[in-house]
Order: sequence, then structure tokens, then C-alpha cells
Amino acid sequence: MKHFLIVAVLVIISTFLVYFGLAHAGLFPAQASTQAVYIDQLFQIHIKLISFLFSLIVVILFYSLIVFRKKKGETGDGAYITGNTNLEIIWTVIPIMIVIYLAYVGAYTLGEVRQIDQSALQVKVTAGQWYWQFAYPDYSISTNELYLPLNRQVDLQMTSKDVIHSFWVPEFRVKQDIVPGQTTELRITPTIAGDYKVRCAELCGASHAYMEGLVRVVNQVDFDAWVKTQQSTAVQDPVLRGQQLVNQYGCTTCHSQDGSQKIGPTWLHLADSKVPLAGGKSVTADKAYLVSSILEPNLDVVKGFPSSVMPSFKDTLDQTQVEAIVAFIQSLK
Amino acid sequence: MSDQPHPNALRLGLLVLGSLAVLTAIEFALALTFNRWEILAILAIIKAGLVLYYYMHIQVLFQPDESRDRHSYEYKLVTNRIGLWLFMISDFFIFGGLLISRINLLGLTRPDLNQVLGLVITSILLISSFFANRGETFMKNGDIRQFKWSFIATITLGLLFILGVVGIEWRIAPFGPADGVQGAVFYTMTAFHAFHVLTGVVFLAFVLRKGVRGMYTPQQHWGVEAAAVYWHFVDVVWVFFYPALYLIGSLH
Amino acid sequence: MKKILSLGLVRGLIWQVLGTALGIGFVCLVRLLMHLPVWKAEPAVVFGALTGAIFFLIGLGVFRDWYRMAMGQAVEEMPDESGLGWIRYFGVSLDHKVIGIQYMVLALVLMSVGGIFALIFRTELVETGMQFLTMIEYNTLMSLHGMVMIISILVGIAAIMNYTIPLLIGASDMAFPRLNAFSFWIAVPAGLILLSSMALGGFDTGWTGYPPLSVRAPLGMQMFFLGVALAGFTSILGSVNILATIIRLRAKGMTPFRMPIFIWASIATSMISLTATQLIGLSFEMVMFQRLFGMGFFDPVKGGNPILFQHLFWFYSHPAVYVFVLPGLGIISELLPVFARKPLFGYKWVAMSSLGIALVGFLVWGHHMFASGMAEYLRVPFMYSTLLVAVPTGVKFFSWVATVWKGKITFPVPMLFIVAAVVVFLLGGLTGPPNATVATDLHLTDTYFIVGHFHDTLFGGFMFPFFAAVYFWYPKMTGRKLDDKLGKLHFWLVTPAFFVLSTLMMRIGLLGIRRRIADYDPALNFQSDHLVMTITGFLIALGVGVFIINLIRSAKHGELATGNIWNSRSPEWQVPSPMPMHNYEKPFEVVGEPYDYGLPGSVYVKFEGE
Repeated sequence: MKHFLIVAVLVIISTFLVYFGLAHAGLFPAQASTQAVYIDQLFQIHIKLISFLFSLIVVILFYSLIVFRKKKGETGDGAYITGNTNLEIIWTVIPIMIVIYLAYVGAYTLGEVRQIDQSALQVKVTAGQWYWQFAYPDYSISTNELYLPLNRQVDLQMTSKDVIHSFWVPEFRVKQDIVPGQTTELRITPTIAGDYKVRCAELCGASHAYMEGLVRVVNQVDFDAWVKTQQSTAVQDPVLRGQQLVNQYGCTTCHSQDGSQKIGPTWLHLADSKVPLAGGKSVTADKAYLVSSILEPNLDVVKGFPSSVMPSFKDTLDQTQVEAIVAFIQSLK
Repeated sequence: MSDQPHPNALRLGLLVLGSLAVLTAIEFALALTFNRWEILAILAIIKAGLVLYYYMHIQVLFQPDESRDRHSYEYKLVTNRIGLWLFMISDFFIFGGLLISRINLLGLTRPDLNQVLGLVITSILLISSFFANRGETFMKNGDIRQFKWSFIATITLGLLFILGVVGIEWRIAPFGPADGVQGAVFYTMTAFHAFHVLTGVVFLAFVLRKGVRGMYTPQQHWGVEAAAVYWHFVDVVWVFFYPALYLIGSLH
Repeated sequence: MKKILSLGLVRGLIWQVLGTALGIGFVCLVRLLMHLPVWKAEPAVVFGALTGAIFFLIGLGVFRDWYRMAMGQAVEEMPDESGLGWIRYFGVSLDHKVIGIQYMVLALVLMSVGGIFALIFRTELVETGMQFLTMIEYNTLMSLHGMVMIISILVGIAAIMNYTIPLLIGASDMAFPRLNAFSFWIAVPAGLILLSSMALGGFDTGWTGYPPLSVRAPLGMQMFFLGVALAGFTSILGSVNILATIIRLRAKGMTPFRMPIFIWASIATSMISLTATQLIGLSFEMVMFQRLFGMGFFDPVKGGNPILFQHLFWFYSHPAVYVFVLPGLGIISELLPVFARKPLFGYKWVAMSSLGIALVGFLVWGHHMFASGMAEYLRVPFMYSTLLVAVPTGVKFFSWVATVWKGKITFPVPMLFIVAAVVVFLLGGLTGPPNATVATDLHLTDTYFIVGHFHDTLFGGFMFPFFAAVYFWYPKMTGRKLDDKLGKLHFWLVTPAFFVLSTLMMRIGLLGIRRRIADYDPALNFQSDHLVMTITGFLIALGVGVFIINLIRSAKHGELATGNIWNSRSPEWQVPSPMPMHNYEKPFEVVGEPYDYGLPGSVYVKFEGE
């Protein structure tokens, strides 16, 4: 029947148009890992399927709405067709077959994504509110920037200090939640050198939006050089050490050093100044006050700033680290 | 008004209680000697089946309904029955969720509880179901006096159960609610269950009061049936909670 | 004054305040007797809120008849509410039509509140940096937007089901009218408690409330948990009523496959909401206990398991999404035959597909947890089961298309929304498989792509069908039509804007924008996308505003429509509008098929005496 023929042609044209549109709409970030390659291939299969199914339904639907609309002056009802068992069986069985195919391809892709390289680089990731910390057990270094060598699988062993976080670099595609009390694993093989951002992908509290860290993929030579630098920079100067720590532990997410307004009070000119407290009193921000603000942040909150936002670092930092941080804050007097 | 119910109906109730007692004894013995969760689970399912069939008369739900008049008592009775069972199916999912949590968090370990007390309160609850069933049987046959004493027995045993769990077990347990997952699971499961026992007791009390004042007849006593069936439901939950908390697995 | 106090709602609210105070006082007293510091905010406020809700219901009077029955006093089975007028809507009415309209109004109120929250935080998102909201204010508004909208959907489907089910099956009311009233009214204090979270420090977890974050969140978190747990009873008790009504009160001759298709959808929906809802109550209560009593369910330090929460939570919350959409999909199946003048294609298959979706829907919850750290071996089975849902869903789509094919189609306002529903739900459904295959989901989960996916499915599966249902049955409720011009304006404001909104959401999600973020990196260059999304949000709000104005105006000024204006075969249209007090003065018998449009001489129902 002519309707079927016209519709078939329209569906085919529409499928190609939609597919062409989707495939060229620049919908994906750069493909910067081997895992991304497999995942993007699966995405392409999905896009083809979506293009076809969308066209199939929408074209026939709108064709009917136009061609079979009631014209002016027409009376009576539509054609008396209650069903067609053969058609029902066809459009149940074929989707089941497509489902099985997709599930198979999905399982295969997952297998490829989860390939284990026994010689992968080991990195221990610790996530907390709201910072990233990366330790390289093979090199005894600990940083807050994730340097990765090109074309080598990295095995991220991840745990959280407090709530659930999630590790995600869109260009690498794969994502993994980070759970307290457990170690979760993520394996990535970066293939394009460059700078990326890891951003926490599981809502983890007030500053979730800002919980990001640098991921830098470099060639092996540059990576080895970086490792050497990290190992030799056992920073002795407490002020420099403190500066390193406040970046590492995300303090700078909420406290500025240049006087600008952020979630927490700025450190510029803070040390030994007089600060008004929420209760009405005021206090001098001496060393004792600064230390107590790190260990028990909600005791004496500065007026105008929210309480119960800053977590306590009592279990995270040892005494020397706290003193280094205070030394750094004092250096901004 | 004092028609004796057919002696078989009362005897059947006693027989079921006897079977439940024997199965419980087997459960306990196995837990001490051959502690396999699969067998204990099957025993629990058998016990639950007995209660569902003989006390709760679940099979009545599937009998065809003869009444044609939508506005008749008989028609509404069947509708009410379906409503009660739908509610219990829903409530069952809470207890199911608690059981899943217990399995996930405790696995094959069990909390450190007093086994004698556990046996005693379980027996109390099973006997209370016997009396609830007995009370309903007497009401079906118009014996208000016997109905009254049976329901008083049920209520008393129910209160004793709550005393045993909340009053005694909660106090003597060597751990508190905040003591690890053992505390969390035990106190929450028993609290949810005890809350339902309490609502069951209140339900029974209201029905007892109406029954004693002659407001029910052998033909029209939906309240009695509903209170008894709800009571048995609470008992069935304990049929699963008892092995889950007291029997299955080993101490840390 | 006396008149205001005679309104059940007003009495309920006064009693709620009283009950809250008493509850707080009680906790303080108990703490005093236990030699603890008397004032501790969290237990006092939580218990106070709970007693407040109970007192609301007592003051409202919804327990009155049950109390009388329990005491053995006489209770009038179906009291005559005809003389009461508009007051009926502000108190306990036993008439399912009144309750349906009460639900509808509450749904629109909640939808507006939730929508306003969205407009507020979407305005904040137009530019990077935080302009007028703090982080926790943003997180609270965003989380409440989610949960308030979810509850508005549950209330909205209750509206449609409660209003139409007795009419469609030929009953004079639901099986348990008092339970019906209770199911509605408990949603009111529940909603108030939920919204009170804003005054108690808010919360920052999203609508999913995952511990450990929800354990350390401010006091507002407890109000969220409690409000949702209470609202759950609306669903659960509502389903008891719906299932009992459909099983017991169908008209003579209405065999299962001669029921209107919406009844099948309601059965499938109620099977889910009856059972699964308990699990969200349980999982929330467990976190509440962890906060109040230090119980270690989800605390790794105490041996607990944060992922257990996710299993319990999603075991409800996935089937819940089918609760959200099955009624709407049923509405599409119900109305297409009327406007295409053609039978519903493959009625039996469509009926079974609702049950199929409900059943399979219980087996897929793990797909929300692919990246969660749950046992790896679970991921592939959940992928298979998730993809499988596409099959019964596909049956519906093919049936809809086959229904309009060779029809004689008209496009009154309800039909516009039905068509939009089909296309939008199609988009939502087609973006399901990429989420279902684990590897691609690892990229998509927790991004705006998911946000786009579920907005598509929710608008297509609930919002548009809800609008269509209201436009369709409004004349039945009031005897007047909603204004056509305003209806078309509503449609054209909402629909294109929504397409743009959800498409952009999916685009930016694919490109790397996470969900639930109060702020985003300007270097990523998504400011213009966010600006456009905010504008579309305001357009949608405008459309809904037009809709609400239409609803109010047309009650008095709408075009009179007392007959079978849609020429529907359905029984409720065979009697004049507005629907008589007890529905069908003369009962009817089903003598034919519901959707035999185009079959000359065929009749669906025959009234006694015809």
C-alpha cells in the first residue's frame, strides 16, 4: 500500500538525518583513554539505534496525524482495526533480540574496560571533603596533583575519609564512587597527553561543586622527572610546607589568601587580628585560636560565616602539619 | 447462645500449636548442633505456612464469592478481607527489608542474646496465636464467654511478650543500640516488631470490648476476624525474626 | 471566625502546631526524667514533627468515624454531603470525586512550589560563581525540588486514579472511602514537614539522602526523611483502596479484558506502590535511627555498609519511577482511541505490557548503582534486566502508533498533550539503553545526561498526560470546558521550551557537566547553555501559570459542556456533567468492548432500563 511505501522511505531518510545530526553534533569530550575508545564505540551503536527507533515511531506517528486527520466536514470513525497478533509477536520478538544483542555488546565492552594490566602503576587515592590526595606507594610520594604517564594503565585504589565521593575525568569516560570504609578500584590508560580535571561526581556536601584536582598526563620521561622532584622536595620550611598542605587538603576551596570573599573567612591579615564571633564576643586570632579553628571549627565561628560547614581536621592532620598550616596563615599577616 | 463449636475446630487449633511447638524445638536443637541456615529457613517457612493456612485461613481469599448483592454484609466482608490482606502484604515488605539488612550486615554471625529468654518469648507468642484462633472459633459459634477469656489470654500473652523483649531482653543484652551493626540490627528489628505487637494488642482490646458488649454475632464479627488475622501476621513475622536473631549463625 | 474554624484543614493546622509543641515538650520531659540535658534539638524536633502530623489528622477529624466504629457506635455509611458546597473540599469528604479534586489541587500546589525552587536555583546557575545563594541553600533547594516534585507526581496520579476509577468501572465510590480520605490528608502534614527542612538548616544530599553524608547533614535532613516516610502512606493506603475497588466493585459484565485500559495501568501501578514504598520508608528510618540513636547501619567504623542503603533505597525508588509513569502511559492508551476514533490496537498486549513493566521493574534497581562500588558481578545481570524493560515499553509505543494509523484524528487540547507525551517519553525511553549498558553508564551516571533522561521520562510519562487528563475530565468535574485558547497557549509555552531544556541537559551531561552542582567552571564555556535552560524553565513555569489561571477562571466562566463532548464510549460520558453525587443513578452492564470505535452499532455499556 502506498502509505507503507511512503512511510518506509521517510523513516529511512529520517534515520540518516538524525544519525548524521547526532554523530556530528560534537557530543563527546576528547577521547583520551583506551577505555574511552571502547565506550565511544558502544555509544555509536546506541546512537544508530536511537536514530532508527526515534525515526520509526515519530515519522509514522506524524504521518498518521497528518494524513489521517479528520478533514472538514468528514463524519464517521476511523478504520475498525483491533489488533494483529502477528505484528505484536514481531514487535515483541525483534526488540528482545535487539536487547540481547545490546546486552552482549555491553558486557563485552565492560570486559574491555575492566581489563587488568598486572604492571599497572599503583596510585592510592584518598578523597575527603573537599580535596583529593594521591599517593604513589612505589615512589613514597604524596601529592594533590595526579601525574600519569602516557599509555600506561594506572590502578587507582580509592577510599574516602568521610562521605561518598566519585572519581571522574570526562575525557577518560570511566567513573567510580569512592566509599568510606572500603577500597574501590578504577583502571585508566590515558592516551593523550595534557591537562585534565578530576571533579567529584557524587554529591558530597556544601562544596561538592568545587571539589576538583589536576590530572596531568605526561610522557614517561617527564613523569620520571616529576617523581624525582617530588621525592627530593621534602619541604623543610614550615611556611612552604603549610602552603603545600592547604592546597592538598582543600582549605583554599573556602578560604582565600587575597582578601576575596569565599565561604570561610579570608586569611589575608587574619593572624593576630581581632575577629568578631557569632555569639557577640570577639577574640584575637592568635596561634591558639587558629589551631583550635582547625581542630574544632564550630566552637568559635567568625560572625557572618556559616557554622557546621567546615569539617574538623583532628583525625586528618598531625600536630606538625597543623603548626605548618598556622605558620603559613601567619605569613599572610 | 452457647453453641459449642465443633470439637474438631478447637482440637485442630491445639494440634497446630503442638506442631508449631515441635518444630520450634527442632529448630532450637538444630541451632545448637547442626546450624545450617538453609534448614532453619525451611523450618521457619513450614511454621509460617501452618499459621497462614490454619490460623489465618489464607485459602478463604481464593474461594469464589457467592454473594451478588453489592450492599450486603457478606459482600463487604470479602472486600474488607481483601483490604486487610493487601495491607499485610505491604507491611510484610518492611520486615523483609529488615531481614535483608540483617543478612547483609551480620551474615552468618548472630547477636549475643539470652537463648532461654528467646525460647520463652517465642513460646509466649505462639501460644497467644493459639488463643486468638480459639477466640475467633468461639465467636463464630456464639460462645461469647469463651471468646472473652481467649482474647484476654491473647492480650495478656502479647503484653508479656513485649515485657520480655523490651523490658528484659533490651536490658540484659550485652550490647546497646549504638554498639556496632549487631546493636543496630537487633534493636531495630525488635522495635519494629514490638510496635506491631503493641498495635495488635490495642486492636484486640477494642474488639474484646465490643465482643463483651454483645456487638458481634456469629454471622457478623469482622472485627474479631481482622484482629485475630492481624495478630497471626505479627506472629508469622516473629517466626522468621526468631531464627534470624537468635538461632542462625555463630557468635562473633 | 466560626466558619473558618469549621474547615477541617484549619482545625488540622491548629492542632498540628499544638501537637508539635506537645511532642517537643514530651521529649524534653523524658530527657529530664532520664537525667539528660533537657534540650536536644534533633530528637525533640523529630518527635514533635511526628506528633504534629498525628495531631493534624486528629484535629482534622479523619479518625472520627473509625473511632466510633471501634467504640461500637453507629456510623452513617455514606453521609449526604450535598448541602455542604465548597466547604467539602477543605475537610474530610468521603466522595472520591471530591478527594480526587483535593489531590489535584495539592498536586498543583506542590508542583508550583517545587517549580519555584527550580526557578530560583536555575537563576543562580545562569552565571558562574555564587550570586545570591549559599552552597547549602542551593543544595537544599535543588534537593527539595526533586522530592517535592516526586510527591507532587504521586499526588497527581492519585488525583487521576481516585477521580476516574470508580467512574470507569461503574462504582458509586471507592471500596474504602474513609481510608481514601485519610490517604489524601496525610500528605498535607507530610508536605509541611518536608518543607520545614528549609527553616531547620536545610540539607545537602539531593533527594536520594545517601549516608554517610545524610548522617552528618543539618537538622533539615530529618524533616526530609520524616516528611517522605509519612507521605509514603498516601501511596500505600491508596493502593490498598485502588486494588480492592477494582477487584470488588466492577460493573456487571466487566470482565478483565473489558475493563478500560487505564484500569490495567492502575492495577500495575498499585502493585508496585503497595509493596515497594515500604522500602524507602525503611531505609530513611534507618538513617534517622543512625542519627538519633547512633545505630551503625551505614557507618563503616561500626561495621556498617553505606552501599546497603543504596540497595534498600533503590529497591523502591526504581519501581517508583514506573509508578510515576504507568498511569500516564495508561492515559495515553485511554485517550488516543477517543481522538483517533479507532480501537486501541492490541488491547490485551497493552494491558499485559503494564503488568510486564511493573514486574520487570522490580528487578533492575542496581542500574542506579553501577559506579557505586557494589559487587561487580551484579552489574551485568542488572544490565540485562534493565534493557529488558524496553520490550513491554516498545509494545506500548507500537500500539499507540498503530492506533492512530488509519484513524480519523482531531486535535483538541488534550490530544496535543498526548502527542507531546508520546514524543517526549520516546526521547526519555530511547536515552535509557545508554544508561543501561554499564560501560556507557560509567560516563553518564551523575551527569546532566541523567537529569535530561529523567525529566524526559517524567514529563512524557506524567506531566503531559496529567495535563491531558485534566483537560479531558474537567468538563466531567465541573460541567464546563477549559478555555481552548489558553489551553493552546499553555501547550505552546511548555512543549518547545521543554524539548530545548531536556536536549540541552543531555548535551552538557555528555560533554562533562556533573549533576547537583551549585556552580561550574567558567573555563568550560557552558554559560550560554545554562542561560537558555533557565529561560526555558521560566517559559514552562509561565505555561503552568496559564494552566492554573485557566482552571480557576473556567470553573465559573468556561463554556458549558454538560454532554458527551468527546463522543467517548466510556460510561462516565453517558451521563450528564457534572457527574451526579453518587455517580450512576442507574447501574450499567458491560455488553461490548471498550474501544470498538468504527464498528457500526456497537455499544460498550447499557444502562438499566434502556
